[in-house]
Amino acid sequence: MVLPLILFVLGFTLVPVLQCIFFSFQDQITGEFPTLGNYREIVGSRKFGEALKNTLLVTLIGLSLEMSVGMMVALLLTTKHKFRGIFRAITMIPMGVPTVVSGVIMLYIFSTNGYLNEFLYRIGLIQLPIDWANGGFRTLSMVAFADMWKVTPLVIVLLLSGLESIPTTVYEASAIDGASRRQNFFYITLPLIKPFFTIALILRAIDAFRIFELPMVLAGRNTMFLGTYAYSEYFDYNNIHTSGAASTILMVVIAIFVFGYIGMVGSREVEQ
Amino acid sequence: MKTSEQRGLAMAEHKISTKLLRHRLNRGLRFLFIALTIAFILVPILLLFKISVSAPQDILTQHPPFLIKNFTWNHWKKVLAAGHIWVPLWKSTVVATFVAVLGVLIAAPAAYVISRLPRNIKYGVLLAIFSTRMFPEVGIALPISVTFVRWGLVDTNLGLVLAHLIKVLPLMAWIMTGTFDSIPKDLEQAALVDGCDKGQALLKVVLPLSMAGMAAGSILCWLESWNEFTYAVYLCLAESTLPIKTYYYVRRGNWFESAAYAVFLTIPVMIVTFVLQNYLKSDYLSGALKY
Repeated sequence: MVLPLILFVLGFTLVPVLQCIFFSFQDQITGEFPTLGNYREIVGSRKFGEALKNTLLVTLIGLSLEMSVGMMVALLLTTKHKFRGIFRAITMIPMGVPTVVSGVIMLYIFSTNGYLNEFLYRIGLIQLPIDWANGGFRTLSMVAFADMWKVTPLVIVLLLSGLESIPTTVYEASAIDGASRRQNFFYITLPLIKPFFTIALILRAIDAFRIFELPMVLAGRNTMFLGTYAYSEYFDYNNIHTSGAASTILMVVIAIFVFGYIGMVGSREVEQ
Repeated sequence: MKTSEQRGLAMAEHKISTKLLRHRLNRGLRFLFIALTIAFILVPILLLFKISVSAPQDILTQHPPFLIKNFTWNHWKKVLAAGHIWVPLWKSTVVATFVAVLGVLIAAPAAYVISRLPRNIKYGVLLAIFSTRMFPEVGIALPISVTFVRWGLVDTNLGLVLAHLIKVLPLMAWIMTGTFDSIPKDLEQAALVDGCDKGQALLKVVLPLSMAGMAAGSILCWLESWNEFTYAVYLCLAESTLPIKTYYYVRRGNWFESAAYAVFLTIPVMIVTFVLQNYLKSDYLSGALKY
C-alpha cells in the first residue's frame, strides 16, 4: 500500500532533484558531464551574489520577526480573556489567503502611491513618497514583512500547540516556589516548548530560503532572490544549466541550515 | 497623630492600589497589542476588497483615501464580462479537485501502513518523506518542466496535477499518519477478535474513524493546489491557472483587474478555511509532532 507513494516520491521528486544537480554539472555547449563551468559562471556574476545575499538577509529578517511576533501572539492566546475566541479566529485568516494574493495586497500597500506611504504622510512622518521596491534594505524589509503577514499564523498554530501541551500543574508548582512571570517564561515555558519552536523555525526557514512568489509579485526583476534567479536563468536566458546550479546552491544552503541547526540544538528535541 | 493600625492600613491600601494599577496597565497593554495585531491582519484584506470595488479616481492618485468613497462593481463586472477568467477558473478547479482525490487515494493507504510501523522506523520514514520539502521547488520544477516538454505534458491538466502532487503528497502523508495514529490499534484487534478479517477491520473500523481526517486532508490538498504558483508558472505557457492569471495582471500593472482576480481567487479559500478551522487547530497538524 505504500508503493504508489514511494514510487511517486522517487520518480517525481528524487529523480528531478538528481537531474537538477546533473544539469548543474553539465557543460552548456558540449554536454560534457562533470564540469564546474556553470558554478564558475554564476558565482562570478554580480546578480547571483546579490540574490544570495538577499535570500539570506530576508530569511534572517523574516524569521526573527515571525518567531518573535508569533510567540507573543501565541502567549496572548493562552491567557484567558473575553476576546480569545474571535482573536484566535482572526489570527488564522492570513493562512487562508493565497500567497499570490498576499503579494498583490502588499503591492498596493507598498507601491509609491500606496497606503503605507499615505499613512506615513498623514501622520506627518514623510513629505515625499518612498519607493519601497527600489532595491536594497527597504525592498528586503518589504518582502520580509509580506512574508510575515502570510505565514505567522502557521508559527502561531505550532507554538500554540506547544504551549497547550504544558500541563498547568507545572505553573502551579512554580507559583508555590514564588517564580516571577519572567522566570516562568524563560525557565519553564521556553524549555518546554523547545521542540515545537524548533519545528516551527525549521519549517519557516526552509520556506523562507525558497521564497519565490512574493519576490515575483513584489520585487519585480530588480531585487533577485535565489528562487527568482533560478527562474529567470531558465525563462529569460533559457539556460537550464545555470538555473540548475542556482537551485543546487539553494539546496545546499537549506541543508546547511537545517542540519547545522539540528546539530546545534541537539537532535533529541526534534525526535520528541 | 495616626495610630500604627491606621498607618498599616494605609500602607496596605497603597500596596493594593499599585498592584491594581500595574494589573490595569498590563491589561491595557495587552489589549493594545491585540488591537494592533487585529488591525495588522485585517487592514490589508479590507484594502484589497476596497480596491476591487473603488472607482479609479480613488486609487490612482497620489493620496488615496482609506475609506471607500466612490463605490462601484465595475471592475468585477468587467472581469466577469471579459470572460478571460472562466478558462483559468475551470482549470484551477479541475486540477485542484483531481489533486485532492488522488492525494488521498495515494497518501492514505501509505500513511496507514506507516502509522502501524514500529516507532523508530516510522519516524525514519516520515522524516525521509518530509525531508523532500527541503528541496527547493525551483530545483524540482526545472527538470520536471524539461521532461514534461518532451512528454507533451506542458499546458495540460495532467501535467499540472502530477506536479502539484509532488508538493501535496508529503504533507498529506504526514497529516494522515497523524490521523491513523489517533485510531488505537486495540480497536482493530477488538474487531479481529469479534471475527472480522483484516480487510473488514480496515473497512468497517479504521475507515469510518479516519473519514474526518481524510476529509480535512483532502481539503488541504485542494487548497494547496488551488493556491499553487511555482509549478504552475513553470508548466503553464498558454493556458494558465487562476494564480498565474492574477500574476499576469500584476505584471501588466493593472491594479483593478489584479484586485478583482485576487478577490475571486481568495473567496473559495476563505470559505473553505473557515469551515476547516476546527481541523486546522492543533490535532491534525501536531499529530505528527507527538512522537
